[in-house]
Parts: sequence; C-alpha cells; structure tokens
Amino acid sequence: MGLEIHDVAHSFGDRLALDGVSFDVAPGVITGLLGPNGAGKTTLLRIMLGVLSPDRGEVHYNGRPVGEQDRRRWGYMPQERGLYPGMPAGDQVAHFGRLHGLSRRDALSRARALLTELGLEDRWSQRTDKLSGGMQQRLQLATSLVHDPAVIVLDEPFAGLDPVAVASLSETLRQRARNGCTVLFSSHQLDLVQDLCEDIAMVDRGRTVLLGSVAMLRASSGRRQLRVHVEAPNHDWLLAFPDVTVVSEEADDLRLAVPPGIEPLEVLDAARAAGRVVDFGLDLPTLSQLFLAAADRTLDPSGVR
Amino acid sequence: MGAWWRGTSLVAERGLVENVRSRSFKFLTGFLLLLSVAAVVIPQILSEGSTAYTLATTGKAPVGIVAALNAAGKSAGFTVKYISRVDEKAVRLAVRAGDATSGLAGETLYTKARETGTFPVLVAQAVVALETSRQLSDAGLSPRQVADLQSIQPPKQISVGQVDDEGRAGAGFAVGIVLYLALTFAGSAIATTVATEKSTRISEVLLAVLRPSQMIVGTVLAIGTITLMQLLVLAAPLAVAVRVTDKIGLPAVAAGDIGLAVAWFVLGFVLYSFLFAGAAALVDKITEVSSAILPVTMILVVGYMLAVTIVMSDPSGGWSVAASIFPFTAPMAMPIRWASGQVPVWQLVLAMTLTAATAMLLVSVASSIYRRALVITGHRVRLREVISGRTVS
Repeated sequence: MGLEIHDVAHSFGDRLALDGVSFDVAPGVITGLLGPNGAGKTTLLRIMLGVLSPDRGEVHYNGRPVGEQDRRRWGYMPQERGLYPGMPAGDQVAHFGRLHGLSRRDALSRARALLTELGLEDRWSQRTDKLSGGMQQRLQLATSLVHDPAVIVLDEPFAGLDPVAVASLSETLRQRARNGCTVLFSSHQLDLVQDLCEDIAMVDRGRTVLLGSVAMLRASSGRRQLRVHVEAPNHDWLLAFPDVTVVSEEADDLRLAVPPGIEPLEVLDAARAAGRVVDFGLDLPTLSQLFLAAADRTLDPSGVR
Repeated sequence: MGAWWRGTSLVAERGLVENVRSRSFKFLTGFLLLLSVAAVVIPQILSEGSTAYTLATTGKAPVGIVAALNAAGKSAGFTVKYISRVDEKAVRLAVRAGDATSGLAGETLYTKARETGTFPVLVAQAVVALETSRQLSDAGLSPRQVADLQSIQPPKQISVGQVDDEGRAGAGFAVGIVLYLALTFAGSAIATTVATEKSTRISEVLLAVLRPSQMIVGTVLAIGTITLMQLLVLAAPLAVAVRVTDKIGLPAVAAGDIGLAVAWFVLGFVLYSFLFAGAAALVDKITEVSSAILPVTMILVVGYMLAVTIVMSDPSGGWSVAASIFPFTAPMAMPIRWASGQVPVWQLVLAMTLTAATAMLLVSVASSIYRRALVITGHRVRLREVISGRTVS
C-alpha cells in the first residue's frame, strides 16, 4: 500500500540527477524526502507527478504503476509558487478543485471550507497578487488540498516560512496524515523538519543514503551523546568504560560519546555512584548529523555542501 | 476524449473569465466600440452637413422645378434651399459669392467654376424634364400620356465582371487585414497567458493534472472567443447601420464567399495561435514575451505582405499558387486569389487541408515545447535544446 518508488533514474543531458532511487511512502505517516540542494529531490517529485518521465524505474501506487487517473486524486505543491496572479483567491482554489475533477458546487464549498481552515476566509475575492507572501503560501496549500487528495506531495513547503507558519503548516499536514493520507514532502532544512517527519528517505547526489523511521534511525545510530553534570572530583569513574570518549567538558558539563553496544544508563549509574548528578540528558544525533555520517561528508563552515 | 475535453474547457473557461475581467479587455473593447460607432456615425454627420444645396433663381423658383428637386432630394438624401434674386446679374453674383450652389436665370444655369457635384446636373435635368412635358402637352398629349412618357426608365444597370470581382477581392483582402489585426492582439494575449503560466510555475501544477495540449488548446479557445467577441463589437454598429439606414454601401458579395472568408479566418487564427503559444513556452521571464514572439510576428507580417503584393499583381502566377497553398501564407493569400475566380477547387481544398494539418501538427509541437521547456529554467530556452531533448509524451 502507499507509494513505492522503484529504482528511479533520470539525467539531464550528461548530468545524472537520479541514480536508482528506491523507497516506500506509507499512508498515515508523514514522510520526508531529505537531502542537500541539488540532491535530486525536485526531479524525483516531478517524476512521481508525471511532469517528467524517468529514464529508468517506476513509481507504483497501491501496487500498480501510477496513471493519470491516480494523479488527478493527488495534491501537489511545487517548490516555486504557482498561482494565477490576477485571479481572486477563492476562484483560484475552486478552479484547481475542478481541474482535479470536482463539480463546480463541490469545488466552491470545499474551497470555502479550506480557506476558513487556513485563516483566509475574508480574502475570498481578493486578487492573489495583492496577498502577502505568507497568505499566498497558504493559498497555494489550499489549491493542492481542495480535492481532499489521498496523496499529498509538497516540494520544499517550509522554505522561507516563519516559525508560526512552519507550525501551522506542520499541523495541517499532521492532521491529513492522521486521516490516512499519504504525505510526502521534500526539504533541505533537515533539522527544521526533524520533529515533523516520522519516516525519512535521505538522498544525496541522486542516491538514497538513509531510509527508515526517524526515531529508529536516531536511536540506533552510534552517535548518541550522554550529557551529564556530576559533582565528582575526577573522571576516574569513566575508566570502567574504555570505549566511551569525552567529546567536550565545559563548566562541569561532560559530554560523552556512547558507542553502540554500551547502554547509556549504565554509564549514568556509574556517574551517580561517583557523585551527585545535577543534570543529565541523552542527545540523539540530529538529522543533519545523521546525513553527514551517512553521506560521508564533512561539515564545512558554510553548512552542508 | 471526454476527459480531455473537460480539462480543456476548464482551462478555456478560466482564461475567458480572467480576460473578460481584466482592465485591458474592458479598455480595448470600449475603444473598439467607440471606433466602430465613430466609423459609422461620423461620415453620416459629415455627409449630411454637405448635402444641403441652395438654388438661386430670378424671382420665385418655378413650382415644377421645386417639386422635381425636392423629390430627387428625398430619394438621394439632400435638401434644397431656394433664394430669389431680382435679376440675372444678382443670381450670377449669388453663385459667385457662394450664397447659392447653382443659379437659374432664364435659359442659363450658373455654377461655380470648380463645381463638381451632381446638383447642377439635377437642376438641368429638372429644367429639361419640365420643358419636355410642356412641349408634349403643347403637342396635344394628355397629362396621362405625358406622365407615362416621363416614367420611362433607362435600362437597369447591373455591373458584371470587374465590379463584382472587386467586391469579392475586397472580401478576400478583408480576411487578410482582419486576420492580421486580430492576431496582433490575440497573439500577444495568448503568448502572455502561456508565459505567465510558465514563469509563475503554474504550469508545473497544471502538468500534474492536465496534458500540455489541453492547456494550449484551452488557452487558444479562450483568447479566440474573446477576439471573436471583439470583432462582433467592431462589426455590430456597422451591421445595425446597414440594416437601419441603408445608406452604407457594402460590396455585394455572395454568401459563399463570406463563408469561405470566415473559414480561412478561423484556420489562419488557429494556425498562428499555436505558433504564438509554442514561442511563449520558451520564455523564462514574462518580460521576454515580446522578443520570443517576434519571429512569429515576422512570419505573419511577411506572409501578409506576400499575399498582398504577389497575389494581387498576378493571381495565377507560380509564386501566387505557391503562396496560396503554403500553410503560413495560405490564409491570407488564398482568399484574395479565390476572388479572381481562376482557382481550381482542388487547390482550395489542398490549401485548407494543409493548413488544418499544420495547425494540428503545431498543437503537438507546441505541447512538446511546453513540457520540455518547463524543466529548463533560469534562462531563455533555445529551440535547439527543446528539439534535441529526449522524446517526452
């Protein structure tokens, strides 16, 4: 069930954009297609939506290759905003609803309901280019949700949004996923969406580098760090754990790398035996740290390259 | 086909509504209406002003002449004012000073040296008719016989050959002019719509639910309907004037010629519309539209020039035949050639078929450009890039 991407490859002339990407998108959970700029995310989404044809590979939906009829039931929000500047907001949403197969009456009533949900109910007859950037963003979302799609695909939906807008868009997507929708979105801001996605597919240079549930990936990664503030005279208690290394030590706050195979709780117990533990915490790696490890990249000062 | 048509009509409906709402549409349509009304009304006002004649006579104007001139004025649409002068010299002076159009004194009709109008002729005719009937009465004919004699009409005159051809050639010529003007406006409207969709990336959302052919045909339908509406606006006052006043002479053209003219207009409009749409799909920014459609405009201008110059001078020459069959010049050249009456039917059928087939082909070429050019952004797409790209359905 859901979406299955099988070995999809595509190149623009000599430039290989996708080199055999495969992953599944399950209904009911939010899946993030993550990776740096130029990783091939937009190309993959365009192939899924039929805007581009792949050189190789297939996209399946509910076990069958995706067809035109399936895609009419999907909702797509491209990276760059695609709205008719001179059209009134409400008409715009209703028009896209009708393009997706709704009757005029249904399209109008759903457009009204959706604009109300997104806080745009009093903008119905305002020209689209007279709306603020944030409102246009919400209007764009409305045009991709108006027909109550079973599959929602969003390309960089969080780019350029303020924290309030990020939270509100996240909530809208969570609600759709809870209702059983298949939700897939792409992002290069890995840490921004860390709490939103349940599943991820990380791509880099046209290849999948990391797949699976965010919680599992973070917990099972070897890059766990135990942060502990212990009132002990020295670090002798650490001698019992030769594989645990000190990452940093600042004002008694000790940061320890706990490799796989060692239970962080045992390390904490040893610390408690040595002195009073004032504060502690287990830090799982961020998605960007996971990405860097998986893609075998190093962090340069300007960010992920 | 049903689904294809449904999507296409939605695109057309949207385009129609947006264009009708737009300020430029209201402005242009209002302007056209004004222009059309002015074209009908102003000549009438001007002509009514100039068709008041004055006849100066010695003493009171003879009753017979007044009756004859007033009757002629009623049917030909002019009025006559009569002024009386004491003697022949005064009548002469009145004409010379411009107080009267013509002057009648005894056996003499005074007119201005450069008087070219028909009024003096009418006055002379009235005098002759009056004198003839007086002499006939004197010769013993009854008033009834005199009236019969005067009601003899010259043979009815019907122009054949040259004049008729001129009317038909006019209809053929009109197709070219109307097509050229309509496409100048509609072409840029189509290009702007397509380029807006491309530059704002609406096309990307649309391509997920529609085929490029639906977007292009829908857009051309919308703008075509609007152009038709504007042409009707332009033609309506003229049509009303023709029916109501019957003062405006249109060349007598057979219904068949008009039907053919409309068919050529539609073919030419569709053909060039798809060219404009394809050209516009190449742009990256909306400001590049005018330079992107320049080649299409050039083809249109050259096609029009060829049609007018070559075909008008030698309708049956080899170049004319070629121009009237080649799809991009046929809609302008063939109607003019057809008017000469020397075109075999097979040539007409061939030209129409070729033009229609080229239009169909252009839909698929423009669709293909639209889809391929979509993923190339950041610079103007060169036609070569699109053609050399892989085949995309």
